[in-house]
Order: sequence, then C-alpha cells, then structure tokens
Amino acid sequence: MKRVLFLALALIMAIAVVAPARTPSHVEARQDQTLEIYITGLTEDTMTWFRETIFPAFEAEHPGVKCDILTGGWGDFDVTVAGWITTGEGPDIVYLGSEYAATYGDLLYDLDPYFTDWADWSQFLPAAVDTVTFDGHMRGLPLLMSPRPIFFRSDLMQGEVPLTFTDALAFMQANTVLEDNAAKQWAFMDIGNDLFDAQEFIAYIWSAGGELYNEDGTSAFDSAETAEAMQYMYDRRRVMRPTEDTAGLPPIEGTAIESGAVISGIFPMWAMPATSAEIWNNIEVAPYPAGANGAPLVQVFIDWLSVPAYVEDPELAVEFLKFIGSQENAIALKDVAGFTPVRQDAWEQIKASDAVWTKLLDLTVEYGRAFSDIRASAELRPLIFEQMTLFLTDQQSLEDTQLALKEEYDLILEDQGYLD
Amino acid sequence: MEEQARLFNLQYAMYTIVFIAVSSLALGYLARIMARLRGFSQAEQRKVFWGFMFAGPWIVGFLIFVLGPALASLYYSFTNYQIGDKIEWAGLDNYRTLLLNEGRQGRNFNKAMLNSFYYAIIGVPLQIGAALGMAMLLNNEMRGIRIFRMIFYMPVILAGGPAILLAWRYMLASNGGFVNESLQKFADTFVVFDYIYRGFIYLMEAFNGFYIGITTGDPLGPISFTIAGAAGLLLIGLLALGEWTEGKRTMAWRSAQIIGIVIVYRLMAKGLMADPVDPAWIYFLGIVVLASTMSMAWQRQPRIKLVQGAGLVILLAAVVGVLSHTDYDATSVEARRYFIPAALVAVPMLGSWVGRWNTQKYRVLGGCLAVLSLILFVRLASGQLDGHHLNVVTHYLTFGSTLEHTDDLNYLDKVYPANQMSSLWFFGLTVAVMLGMALLNETYPRARRWLSYGALAFFALFTIGSYLDGRTYFQAFEKIAEAAGKPVYHFAMFRQATSEFPVAGRVPLWMNSELWSKPSLILITMWSSGTGMLIFLAALKNVPRSMYEAAEVDGANTLQRFFKITLPLISPAMFYNLVIGLIAALQTFENVYILQTPLTVDSLQSAAFLLYSRTFSELHIGEGAAMSWILVVIIVTLTILQFRFSRSWVHYEA
Repeated sequence: MKRVLFLALALIMAIAVVAPARTPSHVEARQDQTLEIYITGLTEDTMTWFRETIFPAFEAEHPGVKCDILTGGWGDFDVTVAGWITTGEGPDIVYLGSEYAATYGDLLYDLDPYFTDWADWSQFLPAAVDTVTFDGHMRGLPLLMSPRPIFFRSDLMQGEVPLTFTDALAFMQANTVLEDNAAKQWAFMDIGNDLFDAQEFIAYIWSAGGELYNEDGTSAFDSAETAEAMQYMYDRRRVMRPTEDTAGLPPIEGTAIESGAVISGIFPMWAMPATSAEIWNNIEVAPYPAGANGAPLVQVFIDWLSVPAYVEDPELAVEFLKFIGSQENAIALKDVAGFTPVRQDAWEQIKASDAVWTKLLDLTVEYGRAFSDIRASAELRPLIFEQMTLFLTDQQSLEDTQLALKEEYDLILEDQGYLD
Repeated sequence: MEEQARLFNLQYAMYTIVFIAVSSLALGYLARIMARLRGFSQAEQRKVFWGFMFAGPWIVGFLIFVLGPALASLYYSFTNYQIGDKIEWAGLDNYRTLLLNEGRQGRNFNKAMLNSFYYAIIGVPLQIGAALGMAMLLNNEMRGIRIFRMIFYMPVILAGGPAILLAWRYMLASNGGFVNESLQKFADTFVVFDYIYRGFIYLMEAFNGFYIGITTGDPLGPISFTIAGAAGLLLIGLLALGEWTEGKRTMAWRSAQIIGIVIVYRLMAKGLMADPVDPAWIYFLGIVVLASTMSMAWQRQPRIKLVQGAGLVILLAAVVGVLSHTDYDATSVEARRYFIPAALVAVPMLGSWVGRWNTQKYRVLGGCLAVLSLILFVRLASGQLDGHHLNVVTHYLTFGSTLEHTDDLNYLDKVYPANQMSSLWFFGLTVAVMLGMALLNETYPRARRWLSYGALAFFALFTIGSYLDGRTYFQAFEKIAEAAGKPVYHFAMFRQATSEFPVAGRVPLWMNSELWSKPSLILITMWSSGTGMLIFLAALKNVPRSMYEAAEVDGANTLQRFFKITLPLISPAMFYNLVIGLIAALQTFENVYILQTPLTVDSLQSAAFLLYSRTFSELHIGEGAAMSWILVVIIVTLTILQFRFSRSWVHYEA
C-alpha cells in the first residue's frame, strides 16, 4: 500500500514538474500581458490613483495589457532592485534614485531609439536628462525632482545671504550663538540635522569648481577644489562647534527653520512648513555658496523610471513611460503624490498657484545641478563618512584625508570596472 | 487575469504539498534501508520508517531553508560573488582581506569586530549586573510588587521599537536632553557629585578616546608591550600572591588555555592566510594529528586507526591543496618545505598502524612530535628572537629606549611598529609561566614559587620600562605636531579628551560624539535587561530561605550571604544570561542601524551591521558571507569555551 502511495505521489510530482508552466510568450504579447511597475515609497492614495485612473486609461489604449504597481521602501531598495536585475526576473519598469545610472548602466535598456524622436523630450529639464544618461545613452525617463537649496530665515539673520565660502563663514560667525559650551543658535544645519552630510560635501566640491572624476575616470578627490570644500566644511564646523565637546542644539520640535534656533539650512521640502504658511514670507531661498573658482549651485535630486535589460517587451514599457511622462499626467502626479514634475511645461500651473515653488523652480533652472553620475555610490558614501569624520574631528589632516579618499575611491572604481 | 494568477498559486501550493509528501516518504524509505543494513528487526525498521516519515517535513525544510543556504553562503565566501557580476572562485582571498585587515574592508572589519567586542566585554557584564540588581529588588515581598515587575519588564517589549530608540535619542540629547539635564541639576546641587560626575566624564572620554585610537589603527608603539607586560603581571600576580590552592591551579590552566586560543587565532589569521599558505601550518596540523593519536592511544580509546587514517588523509589533502594553488614543481625546494613535515608525520604513523601499542611506538611518535614542535618554534621565532628584536627585552629591563628617530613621523607611524617584535610573544610567555605553575603545582612548591617570583620581577621591570618608552613615543608625536603647527593626529580623541579636566557644566555628548556613542548604545541595551531579570528572579525564588537563615545564625553578613549563597545558587541563571548576552552582543544590529549618524557610524558599526552593509548595500556577497562565517566561528568558539569553563563556577542541583 505504501509503495503504491509512494509511486502515485512520485508520478503526480513528475507530471507537475514536467508539465510546462503556462507562461505567456512574446508572440502572444498584448494578449495576456502584465506590465509591472515598481515605484519606491508610494502612499496608498497614489497607488489608488495609479490603479483607478492611470492603469484603466493605459489599458484602454493597449487592449490585452494589464498593469500592476509595486512599491517598497528605500531601506531594502538596493537588495530588491539588485535581486531583480541579477536574476533577470522582476518588474518591467523600475524606479531608481538620482545616482543610480552609473550603478546599473548597461543593465538597463538604452532608450535612445525610443526617445530621440519624441517631441516631448525637449521639455525635460537638462539636469534631469543628465541624470538618466549613462555612457552617452538615455537609460530612463525622469519622473520627479527634488531641488535642495539652502533656506534662510531672513527675519532673524545678520547680514546678507552668502554666495561664496568666505562670506558664508562670516555669516556663520555672525549668526551662531554659543553659551556655556553649548549651542543656543546655529547659523546652519544640514539635512541630517547636524553639520556634515556626504551629498552636501559633493555639492561643495562642485560649487568650488571641482569634479568627482578626472578625465581618465580616476577620482579627483586630490584636487585643490576638494581641499577648498573640505576646509570650508571644517571651518564652518569650528564656528558652530569650537571644540568637539561643544554640545549641539537642544531637540527641536516641529521644523528646524520655524524653531528660530536655526538660521539657515538644507532641508527636504517635507521637513519644511507647508508652502501656504505665513512663515514663508520670512524665508529666503538661495544656492550653495561657491569657492574661489566655482559658481553657486542648487543640488537637484531626480528620481526616474528605467526599463531593465531583462524585460522581454521594452516597447510596451517605453509606451507606458511616455504615457506617464506626458504633460497631463505629470501635472496629475504633482496633485496626487506631490511629485515635482521634471517637465518644464508642467510648471505653469504650479507657478500660477504657488509662489514658493516658483522661487524653487526658478532657482533650479538657474543653478540646478543634478546629483548624478555618482559611480559606485553605495561604497563611496561610507568612505566619505569614514574619512570626513576623521578630518572634521581633528583625527586626520586635510592632506591625509584627501589622499585616503583618492586612493580608496580609485581602488573601488577599479574593482567595480569603472577604470580600465 | 486575477483568476489565472490564483490558479497558478493553487497549482504551486499543490506542487509544494506533493513535494513535501514525496520527499518525506523517500526519507522514510531511506532511513528504513539504512536500518535494514544495520541489522534492525522488521518491527524496528517500521518504527524508523514512520519516525523519519513524520519528521520528514521538518528535515526537508531544514535542508532547504537552513542547511542549503548555509552551504551556499560557505561556498560564496570563497568566491568574489558580487551581484551583477559573474561568480569566480577566489580561494581564501576574502578571509585574507578580513583577517589580515588588508585594505579598507579589512580595516573596517577589524574596527567592527573591536566595536562588537566592546559591546560584549563591557556591555554584557553591565547588562547582567543591571538585570541581577533589578531581580534582587523585585525579589522583595512588598505591596504592588507585580506592578513593579511589569514596569521593569516593559522595556523588553518596547526596546527594539524604532520609536523608543528615537525617544532615547531625545533623552540623550547633549543639550537639553532629559539625562543630561537631570545629571546637571544634581551636579549643580551637590558639589561632591559634581566632581564625581566630571571625573566620570573624564575617565569615560579618556578610555573611549584610547579605544577609538586602537580601532582606527593608530600605532601604540612601546605601549603595546606595556599592555602585554601588565596583563602578565596581573595574571601571574593573582596566582603568585597568597596561598596556592587547587582553584589557582585551575585558574592558571584555564587562563593559559584562553590566552593560548587567542594567540593561535592571531597566528592563524597571519600564517594560514599568507599567500601561499605558510608551511608552518602543515607542521601545526602534523602536531595536532600526532598528539591526538598519542592521546587516544594513552586513553585506550577504540577506533584509533580510523582517527589515524582520517588525520593522514586531511594532512595529505592539505599539502596537495596548498601545492595545487602554487606554481611550485613537486621536486622544487619550496614544495619540499611542505612535503617534509607531512612525511615526518606519515611515516611514523603508518609504522604505528601495525600491531599493538607499546612504549617503542610512543617514543617514536613522541620524538617526531618533539622534532616538529621544535622546527615550528624555530620557524615562528626566527626573525623575532634575533638580537635586534630582543633589544626590546634588554632595553626595557634596564629602562632604556628602543626609539631611534623621534623626530620622524614616518618612523614613528610605520617603521617602528613594523620593525618591532610582536607583543604576542609576551602573552605567550605569560601562558608558558602559567602552564609551568600549573604543572609544578603542589609537587614542586619551591620551583613554582621561584618561577612565579622571577616572572613577576621580569614583567614588572618590563612593564615599567616599556611604559617609560611609550610615554616618550606619545610625546614625540606632540613635538612633531607642535613644530609643524598642526594638531596631534596620533590617538587624537584620547589626547583631546585628556587635555584638561572637564570644566563645570561639561556634559556627555552621547549620540553626537564618537566618544560617547558606544556607551550610549550600552545604556539603551541595559534599559531592556528585563529578560535577564526574569531569569534571575526565577532563580532567586528557588534559593532556599533556610540557607540564608543558617548563614545568619553563623554570623554571615549581607555581602557574605550574597557571594557565598546567592551567587553560587543562581549560577546556572547567570551562565544562561552570559551565554545568551554574549551571542546577542556580538550580533548587535538594530540599535546601530537606527541610532547611527554620519559622524558616529564608524564608532558604532558592529560586525553584524558591517556584514549587512557589505552584503545588502554594497552587494559584495562573497565578502559578506566570509564575514558571517568568521563571526560564526568566533561565536561558537566563545560559547564552547564558556560551556567548558562553566564547570568550575556553575553549580547545578544534583
């Protein structure tokens, strides 16, 4: 009896394994095809908007196609996306952050053939187009942007908005108040609620007139501009923390800029008061200060949609990109999800209704530089943290820090295949 | 479409069920066949079949979801697997990078391991102390004690939550945080407390500053000998002073074992990881095989030939394995360096295979063992025990200096540390003295005393001499910095922390400073010591009242009752908390993940966190897998050691 049972079960399993799983073939495309789109950090309302408004509209234009949306957080973003790209199984459209073009590069479709003749392409902000370009080819469609300027409390600050490192240090001196070896008022606060951030460091290298890479692709951390940026960050820190045992600001309730304890700072818009708030009358928006040979800039983070190289039907994915990237949908995404459109022809409505965003968008056009082409970004970030911490806390000289950054980053770039 | 998806799910669910059923059946049959081969009766075979059949789902699950991934991870650890790239065999490269602290990743791993040891060595005893303290408080009979128990246990439920960890961030805010505000109020009110508080800040910052210097890799110079000398002085002093007892012999023996294991680990890291593998390891393996064989023969254990055979196969496989990764010709001098030790083991072993064990065989094997040990010692010692290196000993014993160019930063930073004798030798000397004392024991008391006094004198002079030279070494950095008009970067945090006694009003910077980030994390962990408290509470409840009463009648005071009755009787609970606490400390992750800032990420980063970042953020699967296996080996070794040494201090009821 047992043997019969065993044989029967083995037979069932063999049939189950041998029987071809019914997977839709490319020939049958557009018959029973699912288009999966992955976007990070979506709210339930935005998901609903996709499901109830966008997908039916796209499906109506593409009979036989069924759209589905996935979402996830930034915490497990790298693992999730790398898993899909490695195994060759995943969504047809993948959402990527600003610095990822260099990370995934050739593992994404070259979309030049689809976008070159697309009339709408000229509407996309040049900084955004740079972000999605890798090795001279477009790898995706910019979806939203997040300009990151410096906000100033014009009603509280002493002096003018600084546009050079020298003026900025004078501004820090004039607007920092220390009492009993503790901060009472800080002239500046970075995005991490402290005095140092890796992205900001890169911005200052750029605004000092430097670049992250030499022409041969090696790291340019040994440049004079990098040294200037580092020295500025160090001097700024010493104004607000004369010694490393100086206590920082007390915990801030609400937004830092509203508290009055912070005179200027870099904050994401979600950490700022609503743009309709009265306090915006007292908030000035300005670019990052520049070094001796550089120019002020505003760092812009662009999130974009890509089509991984494993996708069997890239045409359909591109059609969806064009659909979601249309002027009409770009405006709708701003209303539903608060995404700031990357299309300049979608800004008119925003400018008409929101003075704050008008300032931000104008500043972005004038000073915007995309946070893009950051090679081996996952390894660069901890390297900057490690080395800059040593420098800023007087554990390592500026020269040694530059040397270590340069040598270590070159090794990483070589290991990752960025150098020949 | 959705219906089709449901059908697919159903189909796969059915496949899974069928697969589990078939594999369980297959497992049952396999077990039955094995039972038949081993001569079990029909009834026993049936029992075996059904037993394995029903255990099948769990066994299959274990194989697929635990053993399979573990083996895959072991394989990946020997590759350069990086997501997006091809998997290529890398041999010991990953282990080499990590254990030899090569490059940035090696340095980071070393730093992360030192941080993890900090959590384990400092955090676990504090956590156990807090748990025991709470348990003793809650063991009192008083009204509302259950509510107190619930309150004290509550942090266990809440502790891991990000919201609570963020609340701790607020409480530990350097300026205006609850903890600092409260402490400052006390300090302002009580003058004595103010001095104690500032003294505490000074000591904590000095200690953590020094630890940061070590984790960053700043050279210690002669101070590394001071540390080795002081450790020897302390350990031998504890044994030498007072009366010699059986407990001291055990302590000497076990301390020697622990330090010996640490030394072997360091040697393994350096020697086994060399490329190509150092021939010393073939000698070492040969010694292990010979010593095991002789030990088994001495104890008349069966299956000695099986062990001999296995030992020989492992030895030969090691030789072949090592040589296959080199360009050495089999007849070359280099290859001979690997063959000779193998032959020195294989020949006498094969000779001892035939016939019964007798004195002659012991002599031959013992002789080979002695020869191998001597060669190994000479090999390890060469370059370390020459005149130049021994200068360290002669200079320090006469309070001289070994420093030659105290005005050259490169010499102080790189040349001096590279040219000096390894301080490991002095730990080895401590082990030798302790073993000597344990062996001489009661049989040769005078020799034991002379040995200990001689060693104490040696280590005392050596410690003082090396400290004086170490001070000169640290001052040399200051002089060079002063001449250049720059800050001192050598042990910078330690120097910053000890530059002056904290002025009134100085506060700990907790999560905002590298000097305080690790203590902050330990403080938060201590807050959630409720699980340990529960275990202690249960153990305390089982201590018979009659024993306290008897002790009281005998005139024992509170402390004596605690150390002589309470502690021994709750030792199983203590042991459990220690084992679990140590494992948890070495796996510290969530708190680091949530509490880190750009400036404290390095000082907080634990081995488990680095493993996660390297694997899942930077996608270096091979290196991450190697990290996890090193961590496994360390945790397992420490756990085995704890179990082994628990026999002397953990008392179970008969």
